[in-house]
Amino acid sequence: MDPTLAVLSRALLIVLPEALMLLLGTALLTAGAFVKLSRRTWCALAVATVAIAAATLFSIWNDRADVYASVVLNDTLSRYARLGFLFFTLVILATAHDQVEDSRASDLFGTILILSAGSMLVAAANDLILMFVALELVSIPTYLLLYLPRRDERTREAATKYFFLSIFSSGLLLFGMAYLYGLSGMSNLKALGFAARFVPEVPNIQFGLIAVVFVLAGLAFRVAAVPLHFYAPDVYEGSPAFMAALLSWVPKGIGMIAIIRVLTSTVGGLNSPVADKGFLLAWVIAAASMTLGNTVALLQNNLKRLFAYSSIAHAGYMMTGVAAAFHNTQGSLPLAFGAEGILLYLLAYGLMTLGAFAIIVALGGPDREIATVDDLNGLAKSHPRTAVAMTVFLFSLAGIPPLAGFWGKYQIFASALSSINDDYARSYQYLVVIGLLNAAIGAYYYLRIIVAMYFKTADQALTTKIAWPTGAAIVACALLTIGFGVYPSPTCNVTRRAAIEAIRSPEVTAAPRTATRVVDRSN
Amino acid sequence: MATLLCFTVLIPLVAACVLALVPGLGYRESRSIALATAILSTLCSGALAFAFEAGRVDPQFAFGSSEAGYGAPWMGSGSVRIAFGLDGLSVWLFALSALLTVTGVCASWESVKEKAAAHYALLLTLETGLLGLFASLDIIQFYVFFEFMLIPMFFLIGIYGGRERRRASITFFLYTLVGSLLALAGLISLVVINYYYGDKHVLTFSIPELTAGLAAITRPEWTDVHPWYTNPQVLIFLLLFAGFAVKVPLFPFHTWLPLAHVEAPTAGSVILAGVMLKVGTYGFLRFNMAMTPLGARVLFPTLAFLSVVGVIYGALTALAQSDVKRLVAYSSVSHMGLIALGLFSATAVGMEGSVIQMVNHGLTTGALFACVGIIYERYHTREMSAMRGLWKRLPLFAFFLILASMGSIALPGLNGFVGEFPILIGAFRRDPTTAVIAATGMILGAYYLLSMVQRVAFGPLEEPAHDDHDASAHADPHAASDDRHEQKVRPVGWHEIVGLAPLMAFIVIIGVYPKPFLDRIVPAVRPIAARFPDSGYRTPSEGSTTALSARRADAVAQRHPLNSLVTKETGL
Repeated sequence: MDPTLAVLSRALLIVLPEALMLLLGTALLTAGAFVKLSRRTWCALAVATVAIAAATLFSIWNDRADVYASVVLNDTLSRYARLGFLFFTLVILATAHDQVEDSRASDLFGTILILSAGSMLVAAANDLILMFVALELVSIPTYLLLYLPRRDERTREAATKYFFLSIFSSGLLLFGMAYLYGLSGMSNLKALGFAARFVPEVPNIQFGLIAVVFVLAGLAFRVAAVPLHFYAPDVYEGSPAFMAALLSWVPKGIGMIAIIRVLTSTVGGLNSPVADKGFLLAWVIAAASMTLGNTVALLQNNLKRLFAYSSIAHAGYMMTGVAAAFHNTQGSLPLAFGAEGILLYLLAYGLMTLGAFAIIVALGGPDREIATVDDLNGLAKSHPRTAVAMTVFLFSLAGIPPLAGFWGKYQIFASALSSINDDYARSYQYLVVIGLLNAAIGAYYYLRIIVAMYFKTADQALTTKIAWPTGAAIVACALLTIGFGVYPSPTCNVTRRAAIEAIRSPEVTAAPRTATRVVDRSN
Repeated sequence: MATLLCFTVLIPLVAACVLALVPGLGYRESRSIALATAILSTLCSGALAFAFEAGRVDPQFAFGSSEAGYGAPWMGSGSVRIAFGLDGLSVWLFALSALLTVTGVCASWESVKEKAAAHYALLLTLETGLLGLFASLDIIQFYVFFEFMLIPMFFLIGIYGGRERRRASITFFLYTLVGSLLALAGLISLVVINYYYGDKHVLTFSIPELTAGLAAITRPEWTDVHPWYTNPQVLIFLLLFAGFAVKVPLFPFHTWLPLAHVEAPTAGSVILAGVMLKVGTYGFLRFNMAMTPLGARVLFPTLAFLSVVGVIYGALTALAQSDVKRLVAYSSVSHMGLIALGLFSATAVGMEGSVIQMVNHGLTTGALFACVGIIYERYHTREMSAMRGLWKRLPLFAFFLILASMGSIALPGLNGFVGEFPILIGAFRRDPTTAVIAATGMILGAYYLLSMVQRVAFGPLEEPAHDDHDASAHADPHAASDDRHEQKVRPVGWHEIVGLAPLMAFIVIIGVYPKPFLDRIVPAVRPIAARFPDSGYRTPSEGSTTALSARRADAVAQRHPLNSLVTKETGL
């Protein structure tokens, strides 16, 4: 077979789960116009699609691609991140299963499926163009979703705000990517990473700085990091709770994985001026996001705004890992890789945030939404088990061991501290101290919710009954939060492997052929 | 025995899960399950302490060996391990945690009837946290237990506490969390330093290995103190200090303590003051003194100052209290300052005194808080002005109160003396002035405790007015039915005796015959103390006075029968 064709067919095989999900998602979206079914049925169909995608993913589990030729990868990061996205799609589907009326249900679930396919594609992408397309494949359904469920003034404002800022950030990202491409003439990310080993010898390295700044800015919007964070509180508040859940998890997940793929694994390195500038930028973003997110969250009484600011703060913790990841290279063996910490943190963050939002969604009835912290007063009395689950999520968010959130924080700070021999060791240490003090500040507003649930009494007790799909999602998230916390070893092994494989750019064996092919393709 | 240790640590957690998960448990069943579990784990820990071989420095009852690594891999590439084991520093605190849980369960026997299952579940979870912490051989595992304890304590104070419980629980939680997060940075840094600066570049999280590894580092970045503020040892010392000083609590980090104590339920106070505060001093010894000795040497004047201010300030504030519980709480600040002083004196005598004094203070303060609980349960007040001469009403209570107070005052022949006297000697050898000032604090301690005992126990009987409704709700119906007028106040019940009698026994036993206790502690303290020069804190020209005072202290030590024992053990 023609080698190019072989590479292409292998790539198509690898994105089979995404392709299936896109196809079935579109089918769902279209069918909604012709068939009338209840929302439960639509949701069941969406869940079945996710199951099919998962089965496909397992069937291609061991297929590997030629890293310098293929536009998609099937390395550890790609496989497990896609698996994770599938799991969290299930959680989101369960949370949203009764949130819209029957007529719009097919639209909602179809869009969620397309969006999930996009997020999985981000994890697999190994090409600048495909990465951008995948990111947009998440953004565009998000605009739709923001308009879909309720059509009042506030939702519209939130959607418009998100729309314009998202377009803006996509522009920034594309601009940065163009420089990355212009500098190297390659769009394959692994090949870029390989070329970046010779960075000090590359002429016009300043363009690399422009690329790093703009790509990081474009992705900072998705992870809701300072200075592109300010949409988050308004948009969260203006959208229904399940949308806030989706917005707090999906963009953050894809943004962080895109940062690992596009930035830290390619231009990262010791003694590289690009990486040093990237580190400084990530340092500033991390410190600013953590501090702003945590301090402003202290003042919030609205739950969605509180979680919005908490999500900004968590973006800051993860940016600490990004700062460390800029200095991790192939061959270095630190105590913890930055990317390792980010991935672990993402997993923990997804579990605890989606779990907490699922509870907020489930407790809100048609007549009474859970809007403020005070609405949770006395929850321990009316819903004792739900209160326990919420407590697990909140303590995990605060980073108290032995819950998943603690290991995320631990890995991130360990990765920053293990750079003792760098010139930047002192900067890392300051960042860690800032981060830890922030974690303590952050604990206050999570505790406030626990205090409301356990130590206060409600004026009017909640009587909402939690539907079983949402209940199952909450239980799964809580058990996994505890499980990963008590026995972190398997997860940590996976994240470490993923981090190492993401950085690794293997030596080129058939140098001329591969290299020409890469250049050819990019032309 | 290793299995027994794991069993001892985990059995309270299992019982807590049973209490939390089995629906519809009444307070009778819950408290019986809790008491049985607490007694079982106490017996197990007693067996462990008995089987502990005196004279060995390395951890005992651990799976695995120091070569192959203790315990089992827990996280990552197997370097973070989960490993339980006890050594001389931890064995008695381990046993104390188990014993005080029995006291805690007994103290809440009659007073907690609502949400009792959850209360006992939290108490037992707390016990697992403490036992696991003292038995940790891994630095990250230590930290996990260190922070995990906050959760049950937070709920114990917040749900079962007094009027200000919400504020108290949040203050307690956040204060401790700020410190312990900084300590986390310090702990990770220790591992990183050992990895990069050590000759063999071993990535280890094991506490014994780290202690040995860090001591062996000869790189000038690590051992050179000029200037001190750039030395990582000193900086890490400060990070760790932030975590443990809040826990102890040293002045000026103590502000959470009176609030937490006054609002906490009796069981919470007993465990909080009895064991949780010791976690701080244990951390000082285990990490600050053993792993970053240079920091302790450089910062000694500040540390000694803070400790001594804590001793005096705690004592003076206690003197001004009219609430018995508040008084005992402030007395803890004072006594813990003295323990910290003993540690920072970095002399073998002082550190041994501190370790045994941790146990002693746990026994006496635990007992005092339990006594306060006895009063509060009956009269619903803790104001000293409202009560007098309770000896006549509750003779057994008065006996407990007096014995515990005497132990706390450090009356020779009781346990406090065994700990506080060596601490003063150690402090005197290092810096006579601090020792003299700290001794003043002890005199003040005798003053406020004695006047408290005098008011509460002696004199003509005078009881606080209490409404009948409350009393009948809390008093045992059988006791009350005998004679409603005379027997309104329930006499000290069997469960209170079960809770307090072992503490009283140990107060006397340690006071009279401390040898078995010191035998186990001394070998573990010796290598830590050996890292500090005898009189190397000052320049040689000043050294002569220090040496002189040290000799004088030695002479004192020799003359006293008790300390000749200590001196013999340490070979000083």
